[in-house]
Amino acid sequence: MIKTERILHLKSCRGRKVRVVREHYLRERVPCYSSLCQAGCENDGKVLPGDLTHYVIPDAGVSGDYLEILEFRELQGIIFTQTSCQGVQHSKGRRQYKRLRNLLKDPRHDCVPFANEFQEYSYCPREKGESQEKWQTRCVYSAAVWYYNHLAGMMDVVMITEDQEAVAQYSSLNSGVYVISVQDYLRNFCPELQVAHDLYSSISQALQEKESEGTEREYTEHLPGELLEAGIKSGRYIQGTLNVSKHRAHSEASIMTDGLSNKNTDLSWGVLVCGGKNRNRAVHGDQVVVELLPKSEWRGKDNTLAEGQGEEKSGEESGSKPMPTGRVMGILQRNWRDYVVTFPPREGPPPQTRNTQRILAVPWDHRIPKIRISTQQADALQDHRVVVRIDSWESTSLYPNGHSVRVLGKAGELETEIQTILIENCIHVPPFSDAQLKEMPVNSAEKPWRMDPAQVAERRDLRESHLVFSIDPKGCEDVDDTLSVRSLAGGKLLELGVHIADVTHFVTEGSLTDLEARSRATTYYLADRRYDMLPSVLSADLCSLLGGVDRYAMSVMWELDAETLVVNKVWFGRSLIRSSYQLHYELAQALLDGEQAEVPELAGLGSEEKDSKLAQLTQALEMLTHVARHLRAQRDRGGALELEGVEVRAQLDKDKNITALVPRQPLEVHETVAECMIHANHWVARKIQETFPHQALLRRHPPPRQEFFSQLVESATAGGFTIDTSTNKALADSLDQAVDPQDPMVNRLLRIMATTAMSQAVYFSTGLQSLDQFYHYGLALDRYTHFTSPIRRYADIVVHRLLTAAITMDRGVDPGKALASNKELEETAHHINNKNRAAQQAQKISTELFQCLYFKERDPQSDQSCVADAVIYSIRDNGILVFISEYGVKGPVYLRNREGQVVAVGPEGSCEWQSGSVRRYSDHISTTSSCGTSTFRLFDHISVRISVRSTNCHADTLTLEVTSNRPLLSAGPQQPRSQGRSQLVQEVKRLAEEAAQEKAARKPKVSKEEREFSQSKTPNLYSLLEEIRELALLDLEGGAQVCETTA
Amino acid sequence: MGNVVQRQTRGALRFQLFRKMAGLELLSDQGYRLDGRKATELRKFQARMGVFAQADGSAYLEQGNTKALAVVYGPHEVRGSRSRIRHDQAVINCQYSMATFSTAERKRRPHGDRKSTEMSLHLKQTFEAAVMTQLYPRSQIDIYVKILQSDGGNYSVCVNAATLAVIDAGIPMRDYVCACTVGFVDETPLADLCYAEEGGGVSSLALALLPRGGQIALLQMDARLHQDHLEALIEAAMTACKGVSKVLDQVVRQHLQEASVPSAE
Repeated sequence: MIKTERILHLKSCRGRKVRVVREHYLRERVPCYSSLCQAGCENDGKVLPGDLTHYVIPDAGVSGDYLEILEFRELQGIIFTQTSCQGVQHSKGRRQYKRLRNLLKDPRHDCVPFANEFQEYSYCPREKGESQEKWQTRCVYSAAVWYYNHLAGMMDVVMITEDQEAVAQYSSLNSGVYVISVQDYLRNFCPELQVAHDLYSSISQALQEKESEGTEREYTEHLPGELLEAGIKSGRYIQGTLNVSKHRAHSEASIMTDGLSNKNTDLSWGVLVCGGKNRNRAVHGDQVVVELLPKSEWRGKDNTLAEGQGEEKSGEESGSKPMPTGRVMGILQRNWRDYVVTFPPREGPPPQTRNTQRILAVPWDHRIPKIRISTQQADALQDHRVVVRIDSWESTSLYPNGHSVRVLGKAGELETEIQTILIENCIHVPPFSDAQLKEMPVNSAEKPWRMDPAQVAERRDLRESHLVFSIDPKGCEDVDDTLSVRSLAGGKLLELGVHIADVTHFVTEGSLTDLEARSRATTYYLADRRYDMLPSVLSADLCSLLGGVDRYAMSVMWELDAETLVVNKVWFGRSLIRSSYQLHYELAQALLDGEQAEVPELAGLGSEEKDSKLAQLTQALEMLTHVARHLRAQRDRGGALELEGVEVRAQLDKDKNITALVPRQPLEVHETVAECMIHANHWVARKIQETFPHQALLRRHPPPRQEFFSQLVESATAGGFTIDTSTNKALADSLDQAVDPQDPMVNRLLRIMATTAMSQAVYFSTGLQSLDQFYHYGLALDRYTHFTSPIRRYADIVVHRLLTAAITMDRGVDPGKALASNKELEETAHHINNKNRAAQQAQKISTELFQCLYFKERDPQSDQSCVADAVIYSIRDNGILVFISEYGVKGPVYLRNREGQVVAVGPEGSCEWQSGSVRRYSDHISTTSSCGTSTFRLFDHISVRISVRSTNCHADTLTLEVTSNRPLLSAGPQQPRSQGRSQLVQEVKRLAEEAAQEKAARKPKVSKEEREFSQSKTPNLYSLLEEIRELALLDLEGGAQVCETTA
Repeated sequence: MGNVVQRQTRGALRFQLFRKMAGLELLSDQGYRLDGRKATELRKFQARMGVFAQADGSAYLEQGNTKALAVVYGPHEVRGSRSRIRHDQAVINCQYSMATFSTAERKRRPHGDRKSTEMSLHLKQTFEAAVMTQLYPRSQIDIYVKILQSDGGNYSVCVNAATLAVIDAGIPMRDYVCACTVGFVDETPLADLCYAEEGGGVSSLALALLPRGGQIALLQMDARLHQDHLEALIEAAMTACKGVSKVLDQVVRQHLQEASVPSAE
């Protein structure tokens, strides 16, 4: 019954000077997780391969300090002993330990844990007077010896340690068990892994640095954890996440309090932390504990336009009044990630010696303080972007210490900048590994993929009975949704079907592909390229519902009453389809409009057959449109919002080949497709929520906070409109009415502002929210989820699995595998939400990058395209915020510069700088100078000149300068507007390509993956529409091209 | 319904958060507990019966580092107030106490504090269910239990020790009463909690079982737990109790053997 022997184990826990006696059970059989095992250990899960030259066992110190090196997948056969894991936990904290645990769980990484302290023969009790480190090293060594013996000497074991004494003491004790230092190990066993060598030297330098730290104190010490916790409980301190202001990063930061302290209404806006001393070494994103300062020292936020301020923050209006101000007492949890920094160019001549130097590198993100890095390559790295990690920030040092991890390249180059964007948003998209690709089914010319007869028998076959077609942007490769519609029962009933690619059939839960897709969570679209979530054999071929081939699908079919369009019946299930037509939007619209259009699938047929098929297709499209209109109207009654910001994305993401064909504004058929997808998502959400009330993955869109509407309401009032923001219905209605017949821009801007006020839609697990929280504000649906794009969103894959389980349960069969529990699902949802946010952010920054590249090529003084028409949409203390429709750019225009001069408008409307003053009113701002007074009103059109302000260390930004207070009328506003954005992208792409070619000519070759992933493919337009509609992007840049034809 | 579940889950989450803050990992990814046991393994048992000659029955039990001494007097006539006499059955009187040196910090423990009164009551209820009291009308059975060293699972160790003492006293019982504490961590029930685990913010449950019939003599739990998990937890507790009963049975048989050999000669 009880197999274990007990050995009493004394531990004096020094905390409160109590001696704690704990039991410690040892056992003979502890799994070794090696495939060479002769003793029949119960090795389930990851197993070390037997074909390595040796196994590596790092000791506790190495596991803690050099974990980053051990994370390289090139290092194989790593055994982490329990002793070193616990060492990491105690000395490095929870975060590092979690990282180690994730590493151990990650099936892509070749490492295993070994519970050496519970193994009878590898355990060694701590001796009296033995230091902790010595004991740990001894334990790890004895584990190494055990492994060697356990595997009967078939595998050499290398223990790596930084303790030179241990190397001397143990290295000759046993043959087959080697003890060497990390450096020797890297030199001997992986000499070709240069990255690891560099990383090693940079970490070890950082460690040495730490030892030779000065003693002068720059900051007050942090309080110990117990005091902080006691303080939080007693209400003396406040806990929250530090959020550094983007524009005044040196002086201003605020604490976003967690829900717990909501009782105190004073603090609902957060706590301000002013200045570096008060911030006390906290970095953006850290979990900190603050103490409030006395009321007399409270301050307000700065409300003027600061240098580089690109967007407004809602709610800042209330900022000028004093708000709670505090100082950081301690840090609960660091949230350090990888940062991209730029090594500044050196002033003065380079020093003679090639010794280690300390360099203050400037992070790309303004909110991160400069990081001190000691390196020997300071000269080589000038003006390069480098990935660094922060190691520590002692109270004696003004800046944090870090070490470099990887060099990205020279600042300003396109590849470097794109990599920077990815890393700054924590996006990791390595090429798919061989092991992952091996899991994939094969579909090649020699070995075409065929359907499994078992699957054919199991699925509902729609190949003959239904006319299935897809509508996507032209040139789309990953078709994940198709539609079908037909009338039944002699026209009394309608059957509408949405058929989605059955990705989960190919991606089994827990497989390597699944794990990779989960960690990516979404396909990343940047302005010029994309990073797929699934390998291309799936995303562009086997899962993609291409025309004319048999594919697996997941279908939702509704039976509607033909007259009233009420849903009578709904069917969910797996099916087989063969898409008959792979249409694109323009073609579909042309068919609907009755225009002459050439359908490629019908090209080879005789005219009679062609006509009848065409008629059939057109009829289906008409039916679809009819249903979609009805659905849309239904949602409109519920209060669905129509928000702005659609076209710019579509324009931006398109491939240059098809530029001319992309419409300037959405066609009705876009809406039709989107509506069907929303309908499908909604019904699937209902289904899985009903079957799994506590563990379904849904998507909710919480109503926005009313405070965020203040800007919208203010601007609208100034423009003479009233906006009712009480409900989504009221908002939608009042937005519809707020139209200025003279200027369609006004309505557009108001819609953009409404979009800004929206909160983000998020995925969640139903077990963690109450039913009334499920509501989707933007779409006005009580339950919603994502189901229709499993090729590019992981959430859809999860939903597909849930739906499959629900269908199985309906048949009365137990789904077999246990579903993800509420907690796991919530973790997944959280992860996907984070990744989605990162993806959006990356897309936005990459767009900005391309805008800057475009204008960089032009001389702002002479080039006409640098002067553009802009609309004022907000008034600030010293300037205005404008929106340039031609380029989709938003930005500040200063009316007072640093020297105190103001913009004076001359008689011809031209502007120049003169000394004077600025006054701000609610709906206009006026400057007074010797030439008289000039006024800028809200929603006025003005002309601005766009130029690029280059910075070495950060992203380039656009600056706007007013040239005239009259609208720009030259060069015909219609023509460039339709083309402006696309031209811009095209132009920049051409330039980038030229540069790349030049580089390729100089250098041997761009790596294969790089070429593979830098090609741009058109994403599904529906997805883009949907994205903006439902995510309700807080993204201002989402504001877009002017829609001239609305008027 | 949704609301209730949600609150419970949040409660559980907060517990977990607390535990994570304390830095204790009660169940490692490889399935080991703090002291090296697996989730369902019990601690090491060591027991002796008949440790005192004066008392009618006595036993000493070590379950891991928790050590308890149980002494039984009776059945004898009812002492003290006559009003307690039951005409159809014996009265069971239990007294639980902890030695001053039983924990890491020495602490005076006066009799009759809330905790020990409650524990005495629980013991009494447990044994009223197990001892065949109807055989001794108008009499009294005293059970005294003292914890000599405390390392988690005090209640269950007391019950187990008292069972042995009652058997030693020769008082007929329906079955062994076996008790065990179980906790719930990371969706896994842990059997026979030690002190570090009990203090780690685990929802723990104590169960006393009459194993042969599977009847529950006492079930006590004062932590939050999602109702979905309760069944699994009770199931685990019953399995653990059955394990305990095997050990106790062995102890009793061995004791009988030792006791009978000299008398036979």
